[in-house]
Parts: sequence; C-alpha cells; structure tokens
Amino acid sequence: MAKLRRTMLYVPGNNAGMIKDAHIYRSDSVMFDLEDAVSVNEKDTARFLVFKALKTLDYEGIETVVRINSIESGFGEEDVKAIVRAKPDVIRLPKTETADDIHEIESLIEREEKNCGYETGTVALMAAIESPLGVLNAYSIATASKRLIGIALGAEDYVTCLKTTRSPGGTELLFARSQILNAARAAGIYALDTVYSDLNNEEGFINEIKHIKQLGFDGKSIITPRQIEPVHRIFAPTEKEIEYARKTIEGIREAEKKKSGVISVDGKMVDKPFVERAERILELAKASGVLKDEKEGEND
Amino acid sequence: MNNPEESLFIKNPDERTLIIIKQLLEENSLTYEPDIEETLLINIEGEAAATGSISGNVLKCIAVNDKFKNRNLTGNLLTQLISREYQKGNTDLFLFTKPGNREIFRQLGFYPVHEIRDNVVLMENNPSGLTGYVERLIRETEEKKAEGKRIGCIVVNCNPVTNGHLYLIEKASSESDILHLFVVEEDRSVFPFSVRYNLVREATQHIKNIVLHSGSNYIISNSTFPSYFIKDTKTIVDLHARLDLGIFSEKIAPALGINKRFAGDEPLCPVTSNYNRFMSEILPSKGIEFEIIKRLENEGEPVSASRVRNLLVSGDYEGIKRIVPEATYNFLVSEKGNRIKEILEQRKGR
Amino acid sequence: MKIVKTGMAGTLESSDVMITVRDNNGKGIEIHLQSIVEKQFGNQIRKVVQNFLERFSVEEGLIQINDRGALDCTIEARLAAAVYRAAGKSDYDWENL
Repeated sequence: MAKLRRTMLYVPGNNAGMIKDAHIYRSDSVMFDLEDAVSVNEKDTARFLVFKALKTLDYEGIETVVRINSIESGFGEEDVKAIVRAKPDVIRLPKTETADDIHEIESLIEREEKNCGYETGTVALMAAIESPLGVLNAYSIATASKRLIGIALGAEDYVTCLKTTRSPGGTELLFARSQILNAARAAGIYALDTVYSDLNNEEGFINEIKHIKQLGFDGKSIITPRQIEPVHRIFAPTEKEIEYARKTIEGIREAEKKKSGVISVDGKMVDKPFVERAERILELAKASGVLKDEKEGEND
Repeated sequence: MNNPEESLFIKNPDERTLIIIKQLLEENSLTYEPDIEETLLINIEGEAAATGSISGNVLKCIAVNDKFKNRNLTGNLLTQLISREYQKGNTDLFLFTKPGNREIFRQLGFYPVHEIRDNVVLMENNPSGLTGYVERLIRETEEKKAEGKRIGCIVVNCNPVTNGHLYLIEKASSESDILHLFVVEEDRSVFPFSVRYNLVREATQHIKNIVLHSGSNYIISNSTFPSYFIKDTKTIVDLHARLDLGIFSEKIAPALGINKRFAGDEPLCPVTSNYNRFMSEILPSKGIEFEIIKRLENEGEPVSASRVRNLLVSGDYEGIKRIVPEATYNFLVSEKGNRIKEILEQRKGR
Repeated sequence: MKIVKTGMAGTLESSDVMITVRDNNGKGIEIHLQSIVEKQFGNQIRKVVQNFLERFSVEEGLIQINDRGALDCTIEARLAAAVYRAAGKSDYDWENL
C-alpha cells in the first residue's frame, strides 16, 4: 500500500526541543529544516543537532525528511555528508530549477552512500520547486532521478519572482500547482503543496486544503502541529466514498474468485483506475481513523 | 510554539520603541542606561515581553514582562544576547543584576564576581574569569621574584605616559618594596591599550621593583565600572565605584598582599577626582592605606596626558619633549603617532 | 583536537544545553556543570562529555555546560559544535561523531 504524505511538519533544525518531540503530533512526515529556519551563523550547530537526533532518536515509524541547504549556498555539500550518514528517509533539496540540480545532488548522495557503506538508493530524494524556471522544468526535474519520490511547490519565493503576492484564493499559484501536479503524476511520484503561513486565518487554510485536495495533491508542508488535524480531516474520505471503495475491493475479490476479468459494483462496470482509487481511499480512511482495518499493524 | 513571537535587535530606537523599552525597564525598577549600544526586544503577539541590552562585553537592562514570566523568556533573551556578543567576538561576558536575580542567572551560566549587598551583583560567564586573572597576576609577580612587606599598587591609564605619571610611579615605588603597576585595559582612549602598555613598560624599565600588569576586565573597565567611561558625565555612579573597589580590595589586593594604593591628585578631571574620593573613603576600611601624590608641575601647569594631547594637535613637539619620557616622544614623532595626531585633529574639528 | 579559542554552541531554551569550550591555560580538562537535573543526571552528563572529549583527543579545555534538560544526543551535538568552533576547525569527522 502506498505511503501517505498528507502532512509534512517543518521542524527548525536548531531547535532541540522541537526536534526531540517532532513525532509526537503524528504528522505523516517530519521535515528537519537546515535551510531557511537556520541563520547563517548556526548552520554548523543545526547540522550537528539534526545529525545526532537522526542517529539516536526513534521517530516511531514517522517518515523523516531533512531539508538541506542548496549546494551553491556553500553549506549543502557538508549537509549531504552529515545527513546521508545519519540516514533519514528522505533528503529534500530546496530551490530546484533544472534536472542538472538533481543530478548534482544525486551524485553527492551516491558518493556519500558509498563512503558510508550503504546500499545505493538508501536515502530518497524530494525536490522543492520554488521558481518560474523550476515550474517550467517540473517534468524534467520529476524524471531526473530514480531516487525522487516527490516534488513540492515552495510558493513564497515563487510568487515574488512572479511579481505578485499570495492571495487567499491562490489564483496566482494555479499554474504552478497544476504544472507540478501534472509532472508528478506523469512521473509517477508524489505531489506536495506549499505551506500556508497565515496562522490566524483558519478559514483560508481550510479552503486551501480543499482546493489542493481537489487538484489532486497528496498533501502539503505544514509549519505547526496545529495544522495537522485540519489536513487529515479534509483528506479523510467520506462514508459514501469508503462504502463504495469497499464494494469495489469486494468486487475484485469476487471477480478473482470467478476468474472473471470484469468487475462490477452496484451493477456498474469498474476498471483498473477505480480499483487504485478504492485502495487509496481505504488506506486514507484507515490512516484518518475513520476506518478500522481488520489487518492491524501493517506499516507501509 | 503557537504564539507569534518576534525578536528584534535595535541600534538606535525611535521614540516610540524607546518609550516601550523604558516602560518595561521601569516596571522592573531599572533605567535605560546611556552607554547602551544595542537593545534586544522580544514581542509576543505585539506586546513587549522582554528586553536586554549590550554595551561592549556587558549585558544589562534585562527585564521580562510579568505577564510572560513563565515562558523561560530570560533563557531565550540571554541566548540571543550571548550569541550576538560571540558574533562580535566578545566571549568573556558580564552582566549586572539585582542580588535577588542572582540565582536565576547562575542557573543560566553566570558566576558572581562581586556583590554590593541589597543593591547590585556583577556576574561573568567565564567560570575562571576573575580567578584566572588573579592566578595570572600571581604568576607575573613570581616571575619578577619581588619580595618585601610594603606592597604598593597604582592604576594608570597613561593616554599616553608623561613625566607626570613617571614622577608618580617613581614616588610610589620609592615608598614600596614591590609596586604593582596596572595599566587600564579598556580601549576607550585614543591611544590603544597595546601602545599605552608598551610605552609604560619602556618608560619604567629603570625602576626595578615594579611588576607591570594589564588591568583586564576587573580594574576600571567598562565591565566593572561603566560610568567611568560614559562621556559627558561629571560624576561616577556610587555603585560602580564600590564594585570596582570591592573587587580590588577583596579579590585582587589580598592575592598579591597589596597594602597600599597610590593615586595622583586630580585637579582637572572631575571623574578621576571623584574616584579618588571614593578610594579614600573605602580602601582604609578594607585595610588598604591610600595616598594621594601631588602632581608634577611644569611652567605652572600640571603635567598631564591631556596637555600632551593638546600639544600634539598644535604640533608643538618641543613642548611635548619637555614633559614626556623618551619612549613617548619617539612614539609621537613616528608614523603611528602621527596617525593618532590625525584622529585627535578630526575630533577637535567636529 | 586542540582548543585555540572560545567556542560556544546551543541555547538556554528548554530541552537544550549551552556549551562553552575555552582554553584552560595548561590545566587539562575542567568541567563546570550547571543543570536543572543535576541530581539525577549530573554524572551521566559528565560521562557523555568525558567520553566525547576522549574520543576526539581533547586533552585540554575549560568546558562549561549549562543544561536545560537536554537529551544525551543533544549534549553531544552541542559539545561537538562547540569543540569544533573552539578548535577553529571544520573538517568534521562524521564517521566518529
């Protein structure tokens, strides 16, 4: 069953208390940030802190992601050396603009995996796209490496490049979101949405979650544990959806038993995409606590 | 983590910000001090929650809004102030606080240096700061292999050293078996510390019973004695003088066995004469004799460093030659001396 | 590693530790510990610190630890950063860290 990535919680890389407790809020992933959340003077201390935490602490199965600094910042290469060795699930590269950016980081990761004696591909990669050029190159970025598990939109820099600002409706992001989503789907990887930073506007946040869910995103980056619940709630399937998904799966089993290639639910024919969607809905339902599965303890 | 908290370092606060800072300080019975270089203000949801300031290597005017007392804001504030100081290259830090807060700051990594009961406590972040300095003084004294019972002390700034200083030092040395000579280290004078120190060393080479020391952070420095260095003040703050002399008489003098302190009389500078008055009040009560030596005069005027600086600006090297030791004269006519002349000219021009 | 200047890392926030490493004027290793959990964990913290110093051949230094309830891994991370800063080095030995 596919991994859920509805919520990726940002954790400032130099905040010992938050790093220690990052997993207790049960977001789908935690993302330790060595980049924008850490001032230039503290890049070294944050790197040590995240390195030791990853090596020592048990995040109880929650996916660990580290946002490293870009290579050109001068901090990225050392970040890769430390972080690959500490073996998080995913490294997230910021400000990705071209497929070459991915090739560059991939070769660094691969070199470090060799140095550490890890199997090649141990650490997965995720790319954040934060500029008009990156958005235009979304598909070539998304297909640049087998390591890539997803691409994400980083909207703050992007809207500035567009010479606009973020609006509640998100009109200005529609193209980038659609392009990134489409590229991710074409490449068969995850599509993740940007952060929503106006903490005082709950209604705006809810609307944005509904919007990106409808577009097809797998989830979004979040900046506080308070944002986990609304995302999970909105991504949770409705009873009707669950019921239909159940019947679809039952239909498959039935068809398999009969060795029949045709599946029908409520008298209507369904085919492969329906089955995939049904599986996803049931998985979401299980993760959202809406549905208790018979098969307990299944972990990705 | 869900209260929007913002921290700002402010160099020259505008009127509104200054009122906010002063109000927070007043609520904690503190005042905004004139030598503050930079102030950190932490706001929580738009309200001033905590403030602290930096002056050189000293943290001061630290206050937390009662409303936000239980959020470890002191720790947050201190972390930011300390990091700021480290970025500036200041790693040996001091702070002033009320004795009631001593334990809070002790838990945050500061060690008491000296306390004026019911009033103020000076703390430092280096666990072997003052003790390390005292150990160094003892080492410097042992190297000199000086012995005797009459152990004198004199503290000089020497900006730069003149025949007036030399007269004072010679007189004090003649009345002592050992004379500890401290040169003020605080770099607030036009002649940098290294220049002042080296000129004093050269000018006093002929006096055999002198042990020369740098004043460090513990003898008339901005850390122990901020009001000494605040421009345009005519008087020094009583508390600062008591702190400075408390450290001297309780920590430094006993370690070296100093039983007498000398000073030049000071008809011109109100700050120094004020300090002399404090010494005459405080030192004898701590078992240290205090003697003021009358200044050397030349052509009816006291021989002072300020007079040398004035002559330097007017380019009267002959006049200078008559009132300074050879080392000072040689320095003043050198290229480095000329640069100091230019700095003085610029200041005068303003 | 040789301590050549004062290096500091960490914060005084809860669950963190501020560690300062200074030259100790030829007097070997000296550890000053201040901790909100000193009674229960003082010895453990000292052990973590001494262990690290041995592993990285730090033979001389005044180590000041101001602990606000940090985990061992946080103490090691802050100590490592402070030691590297105080040694003026950035050739990090990730394999042994």
